[in-house]
Parts: sequence; C-alpha cells; structure tokens
Amino acid sequence: MVNPVLLIAVPLGLAFAIPIFGLISKRLEKYIPVVGMLFNLVLSIYLIPKALAHPIVVSIGGWSPPFCINLFVGPVGVFFSAIIALVGLLVSIYALDYIKEGDTGKYHMLFLLLLAGAQGVVLTGDIFNLFVFYEILCISSYALVGFLRDRDGLEAAIKYLVQGSIGTGLVLTGIAFIYGLYGTLNMADIARHINSIKPAANFITLALIITGLGVEAAIFPMNAWLPDAHSSAPSSISAILSGIAIEVGVYAMARVIFTIFGATDILGFIALIGIITLLIGEMSALKQNNIKRMLAYSSTGQIGLIVFAFAIATSYGIEGGLFQILNHSLSKALLFLAAGYMIYRTGSMEISSLEGMGKKMPFTSLGFTIGAFSLVGLPPFAGFASKFLIVKAALIKGGGLYTCLIVLALFGTVIEGAYFFRVVQVLYFKGKGGTLARQEAPFAALLPFLVLVLLIVFIGVYPGPVEHVLNSAASEFIHRIAYIQGVLR
Amino acid sequence: MNFLYANTYYIAAFGLIFIGLYIVMAKRNLVKVIIGLSFVDSGINLLLISIGYIKGGTAPIFSRPDISPLKMVDPVPQALVLTAIVIGVAVLALALSLVVRLYQEYGTLDIRKIRGLKW
Amino acid sequence: MRKIIALILLAMLLWGISKPISNIPFGMNKINVAKHYITKDISETGAANVVTSVVVLYRGFDTLGEVTILFIAAIGLASILYLPKKRVPDNPPVEDSSLILRTGCRFLFPLILLFGTYIFVHGHLTPGGGFQGGAIIASGFALMSLSCKERILSTVRLGVVESLAGLTFVTVGLIGLATGGYFLLNFLPKGTLNMLFSAGIIPVIYVAIGFKVGSELAGIIGNLMERTQ
Repeated sequence: MVNPVLLIAVPLGLAFAIPIFGLISKRLEKYIPVVGMLFNLVLSIYLIPKALAHPIVVSIGGWSPPFCINLFVGPVGVFFSAIIALVGLLVSIYALDYIKEGDTGKYHMLFLLLLAGAQGVVLTGDIFNLFVFYEILCISSYALVGFLRDRDGLEAAIKYLVQGSIGTGLVLTGIAFIYGLYGTLNMADIARHINSIKPAANFITLALIITGLGVEAAIFPMNAWLPDAHSSAPSSISAILSGIAIEVGVYAMARVIFTIFGATDILGFIALIGIITLLIGEMSALKQNNIKRMLAYSSTGQIGLIVFAFAIATSYGIEGGLFQILNHSLSKALLFLAAGYMIYRTGSMEISSLEGMGKKMPFTSLGFTIGAFSLVGLPPFAGFASKFLIVKAALIKGGGLYTCLIVLALFGTVIEGAYFFRVVQVLYFKGKGGTLARQEAPFAALLPFLVLVLLIVFIGVYPGPVEHVLNSAASEFIHRIAYIQGVLR
Repeated sequence: MNFLYANTYYIAAFGLIFIGLYIVMAKRNLVKVIIGLSFVDSGINLLLISIGYIKGGTAPIFSRPDISPLKMVDPVPQALVLTAIVIGVAVLALALSLVVRLYQEYGTLDIRKIRGLKW
Repeated sequence: MRKIIALILLAMLLWGISKPISNIPFGMNKINVAKHYITKDISETGAANVVTSVVVLYRGFDTLGEVTILFIAAIGLASILYLPKKRVPDNPPVEDSSLILRTGCRFLFPLILLFGTYIFVHGHLTPGGGFQGGAIIASGFALMSLSCKERILSTVRLGVVESLAGLTFVTVGLIGLATGGYFLLNFLPKGTLNMLFSAGIIPVIYVAIGFKVGSELAGIIGNLMERTQ
C-alpha cells in the first residue's frame, strides 16, 4: 500500500529540484511539472477504491493521532486530489508552449508548488497544517498573478495580496482562539470536545475563520479581488485559479463548518450569501466586453451556486455541490485555455475582436463552445447532471427560503445562458472581416482540449461512477461521528 | 484597573491588530498599507504567545537536571509563532517587490491613482 | 468617509472578540496536548529543548511547509524583479566607504557567520535553531553588501545552495518513510541528553534549514540590490 504522503512530498521535492535540473539543461525545466502531476494522478486514482472502502489515516512521524499531524484520506480527499492532479497535468501540458517570456524556470517552480499546496489542504487532518498549506497556495498565486509584470498584472497582484493577507490574518486569529479554548489542534479532537465551550465563543471563532477563508473562496463581500486577478494573469494561471484555487477555498470552509464545528444553524444565512454571490456574479458578467473579465465574474457566480448547494446540507445537496465543483473545474479550465490562444492570435481581449474565430481556429472554438454549454447546464454534458441534482435537493428540502432561493438560482442560469450564447454567436455567426489566416493552436494546447471535451461528454452521459464516489463523499461530511472515530480510535 | 493589569498582553496584542487593520483600511499610501499588514502580523504573534503562558512557569528547556516538567510554559504556541513569523516575512518580501515594480511603472504610490482596471 | 466605516467595523470586531477571549483567562492554559509533549519529550526524542522537538519531530510537516513558503517568496521576488539581460541597470557611482568602515566590516563578518552557525548547530540544546541562525547569517551578508562595494553575493550560487538544502529536508523525510513506514520518522539514535550528537534527526534538519534560510534571505537582499536602481 503506497503511503498517501507521497501525493504532497513528491511535488515539493521536484519543485525544490527544478533549479538543479536547470543547471543541466534549460529545456528540461518545463517537463518537470508534467512528470510530477502524472505521478499524482496515477497515485490518486490508485487510492480511490481503497479510500472508498475505508478511510486511510496516515500519521506523520510515527506518533499516534492527537499528538501528531495526521492526513485523513477519505472519499472527499481523494476526489479533490484527483481533480487537482488532472487539471494540473492538463494545464502543465498546455504551458509547454504557452509560457515563453519572463523567467520561465521560476514559473514552473511556482506552478508545481501551488498544486502541492492545494493537495496539502485537501488531505490534511490538522487545522494549523491546513493554514500552512493554504498559505502556500495563496502566496504562489500572488506571485503568479503578477508574473507578466505589466501594469494590470502588478496592480491586480498587490490588491489580491493585501486582501488575502488580511483574510489569512483572521484565520490565524481564529486558530489562536481554538487553541486557547480547546488545547489541541487536531480536527477530530476539536470536534469531539466541541460542546464543552459556550456557544457564543464558538460562534465568533467560526465567524472569524469563515470570513478569512471566504476571501480565497470569493464569496460575497470579499470577492473584490477576483475579477482583476483572474483577468490579468496569464491564461494558464487563470485556468488554475478558477478551476482549483477557489474550489479548495470552498472545501476548507465546508470542512470547518461541517466536520469541526458541526454548525447546522447558520446554514440558512450561508445559503442566502451564496445566492447573493450568484446573482452579483452573473449580472456583472452580462455587462462585460472583455472576455477574461466575463469568465472571471462567471466564476464568482458558480461559486455562489456551489456554496448554496453545500448549505442545503442533505446528502443530495452536498453531492450536487461536489458534482458542480467537478463540472466547474473542467469547464472553466477549458474556457480559459481556449480563450488564451484566441487572445494570443488576435492580440486583444475584447469579445468583438473574436469575430469569425469559428472558421479560423475550429478546434479551439469548438472547445470553448462545449465548455460554455456544459457550464450553463445543457443536457448531454456534465453540467446538466450537476444542476439537476442541486435543484432536486433544494425542492426536497422544501421550506419557503430554499424554494425562493432556487428560483433565483434558475434565473441566474438564464442570465448565464444569455452571455455565453452571445459569445458563441460572435464566434460562429458573425465576421466577414479579419485578415488572419486559418491557423490552429499548437498540438500541446489541442491535447488538453481533447481530453477535457471527452471527459465532459463522458461524465454527462454516464454519471454513474462519479455519483457513486460522491455519495460516499457526502456521507463523510454529514456523519461527523464516523470521522472522529476513524481518527481517534 | 485590576482588569488592565491582569490582561496587559491581550490588550497590547489586540491594540496592535486593530491599529494595523485601521491603517490598511484608511491610509492611501501603498507603503503605509504594507506597514499596516506588518502590524497585524505582529499583533497576532503576540496574541498566540500570550495564550500559551502559565503563571509561574519557566522556559521549556531541560537545561538543569532538577527542572520539574510541570512548571514549564506551553511549548506548542511557540512552535506556531515560529511558523507565523516566517510566513509574515515572506508575504512582506513579496509585497515590497510588487511595490518597487509598481513605483517604476506608475511613478506614484497613491492607491487612488493606481486604478487602471475599471468595472 | 472611509475612516468612519473603518472605525465602525473595528468597533464591531472588538465587541465580537470579547466573547471568546473572556473564556481564555490569562496565565491558565489548559495544557491538553502539551502535557504529553513536556513529560514524554526526553524519553521519546532525547532533545533538551522541548520547543525544538515540537517544531521538528511532532509537527515537522508544518516546518516543511514553512520552509516552502520562504522558498516561494524568494523565487516570487526574483521573478517579479526580473530584467531581461540587455537591460541591466548601471548603478550610479557610489562613493567609497571609509577605511574604518571597510576594515571593521571585514573583521566582523566571519564572527557573525560563526555566531549564526553556533545558534543553528545547537538548536536542540539551547534556545534558537535553524531559522534564527539563518537570519543572523543573512544579516552578515547584508552588512558586507551595504558597507563594502565588493559583491560577494552571486545569486546563482545562492540559488543552488537553497535548492540542495530543501532537497535534503525532503530526502530525510523520505528516508524515514523507506526505513520505518512513516514520513519524517526519527531514524537516527537518540544519544544522551545535552550532548551535541543527540536527538536523532534534529541536528541534521536544523543544519539544512540554517543553510537554506541564510542563503534565501541573502538572495533576497542580493536581488533587491542588483535589479533595482
């Protein structure tokens, strides 16, 4: 049985070794992230059946659980780990040809460290360790957003940095209170003793931690950084930020709310915040002329929908939220990668300059279109299954609040359809002009498009295996007692 | 008065955190905002260390053979603060490099003028 | 206007924070996990400094993360301040420092390096350790760069030292995984208390961290001095 620590240790080791490979030959540096993520993908897929049967608890250093840091590899952890490895592998293949200027060796190091940090957040079972790996994720993304060193990138990076630092400062204050109140930092140990402290103290600590984590997850009052950062970064980094970083933020919030605190009475408020985020994101996206800013606002909207699905807190609700995370990762990565080459060819980010791309870059435009349809939720694609689950969950839960909110969510989906169809119309049905010859994106970019399109279609047609994994994942979040007993026998 | 005397460290820690948050929210010069972030980090580290204090305790090192293990302060917050100080330094270094490049591009450090990206 | 909103938000935060903090009286920590660390430290690890054994052995994964964060900051700073080869700035001529300054700094520099090395080698016996020793070494390099004109910092060589030290840390963890089945297992003998060669893998890891932090902070100073006007 292979130790799951290798999912985190191997990318870290390879990232430290990249300068040494760079001494041998500068051209080797860009293949190291591909190797690292391929290893991660193979290992996490190998671990899926084992984690579904019985969650694996790995202790670091050989001591026994509350006195050491432990990794908890359950269905949720291995599901997120597989998504991170898959999207990371495809974007690193795309970056083989896309990143040409600037200090490219350092780009690949920062990229691999961002993915290692994300793997660490989803697999750990100790709250201070979650904070350290979460900081690895955030700091790599601050450096990567400003990587191109143009005016927009630097401004977006400094705004993201200041807001992110305040957020992590709040999380650390919450962790200080947790240590003062409970005397331990292990998630299962805190969960076991959660009722021994007055509810008012618990509530404020939970509020501090959720506000801090919400900066990275980009929920309503704290998402001012997202449109600037995702639109000014290089396109491969926008794909990773939208596809992985904000979902890992949502995972961290869900872990704190469901497993550690078990706080089911604030979920109505969280559902409301989710729908407000959804509406603000979708309506702002409608007004945009810059395609990357439009996609960034669309990410905000989708995160609102995912948070709403988690706040329903029944088995169908959490399953729908996790399925929507899978759909959003794959589709948004496809959209940003396709948009990256279209922008590179036309030299401008305006939607009107993409006229007629359907004929000049046919595969890229097809990829963009399929990503858009899947995100909106049309039938043969993955998005339909996930949105159907969320609507079913909200209607089964009933009650005035959830029915109103799901109607607003469907209204948001209609707006989303409107702005995506506008772009598809510009791609295919407009455009007589254009002096560009017909030239497709290079092979290193077409391979990720092909894999993502095949996956989206396959999951849309056969959602069975995915739903089986997500069912176990949802029950891990709902049944806290099983988590506590798994770690502290 | 007794309350102030008994909780001096907590009041100092929260004072630093609030001064830092006020600077970040209200000041216009970018370098002052970065200094405010540094205040917030210092305040949080002081809070963490003062949570670990035990009355009458001594440093957790077995330097003499007759130190009783039960009279030592808590070693875990000291380990957490080591990590938190290094994280603060790292973010500060990255922020200052961004400020240096921004000054080279825009020529000013006023955050109301560094506003290329609109709605 | 922004100042008024800031003051209102801070007042709400103050009212909120008073709830948990009133449950944590100053000076009365409930040492749940820490009691195990203090009482079992000598028998399980053999280190005299309990904080060091918590940092390296019981919570070693956090230390690996922290070392990574400093690495990310150093390479992020270098990539943002990157200048393509043909635009290296020529620094305006600086006047020579006086004879007293130059001689004093050359005299102090090896003493500072020695002091830093002493702190990180004795991390398991006295207060201190890898991070503190590394910071002192970097301050020695900063002194030389600021006072004497000779550039003794080559950022490429510092980068290689940094990478090798980081790889050493991960490799020690992987050796623990290969020999005992747990990452970062303490596989070296514990030795006798208060001797230099005791406490298992703690001296090895602290030497690696000392080199890494020293070269990283010196590299940050070198990058800031070379790549800006």
